[in-house]
Amino acid sequence: MSSVDPMDSIEFDRSIIGIDYDVGHHEVTEEQVIGFANAIGETNPLYLDKDAANNGPYGSLIAPPAYYTSINLEPGPDPKVKFGTTGFNASQHCEFYEPMKVGDTITAKAQVARVYAKTGRTGTLVFTVRRTTYSNQHERVVTMVESSFVLRDMSQ
Amino acid sequence: MNQIYIEDVDLGDDVGPLVLEPTRDQLNAFTKVWGTSVGRFTSDEVAKSEGFTGVILPGNMSMAFLGQLLTEWCGYEGKLRRLDVDFRRSIQPGDKLNCTGIITDIEVVDQENQVTLDVFIETQKGERALQGTAMVVLPSKS
Repeated sequence: MSSVDPMDSIEFDRSIIGIDYDVGHHEVTEEQVIGFANAIGETNPLYLDKDAANNGPYGSLIAPPAYYTSINLEPGPDPKVKFGTTGFNASQHCEFYEPMKVGDTITAKAQVARVYAKTGRTGTLVFTVRRTTYSNQHERVVTMVESSFVLRDMSQ
Repeated sequence: MNQIYIEDVDLGDDVGPLVLEPTRDQLNAFTKVWGTSVGRFTSDEVAKSEGFTGVILPGNMSMAFLGQLLTEWCGYEGKLRRLDVDFRRSIQPGDKLNCTGIITDIEVVDQENQVTLDVFIETQKGERALQGTAMVVLPSKS
């Protein structure tokens, strides 16, 4: 391990870290919930059967937890990290506080929570962690997601 | 749907497996609902140019399979509260997936029955494509 922080030499926009930006609104529709549930092979009546869901614990069709992935948002703040030749999604951390329901209006805010580097056997990896917070029309946070995107330099 | 209660579960219990074989049609339906045009999910040609043997599933889609495993298990009265996953390997349409969980902790916090699990998706090659942890809240019988 080197005592030099590799972040010292990596260029990115530090001014946006930790600042929330509005990245869009979304109406949760029956069509999209059922379309999403079918695409991932769900059989749960809470997502697919209106009558069963209306008589269920939430009183209406709800979206599966991972439904947030089907919500198209604006790209949000970009830290413009100058590093690497390729990138991929490394991990995702999700918290679900209450379900999104058909008829909800979801508002999403996103921030770059942190940018950090790790140096290991295969070289340096630079991680960008984005936090997206989804709230409903009652201004309650329903879902929070932190996604970690990693950049690496394959030419090293 | 059967309801599982906190009294029914113990440390080390397995959840699943949920056995899935996602198809190209399902992948197309998922990317359509999502509205993405990212090449490695929609075009074999692009996927091959990036070093894959053909289109791959978005991590979001495979993560949703773990969501499915857990919400089917916890029933109407249970709640999936947290899901953390690492994306380790790509999954392609036609892969045979075993989505599994193992209970690693059970505790009562703020009067909630919180069950923590290790979760993973293993492919027919025996490789763990996704691996992570989850926390589910289960109801009590009483």
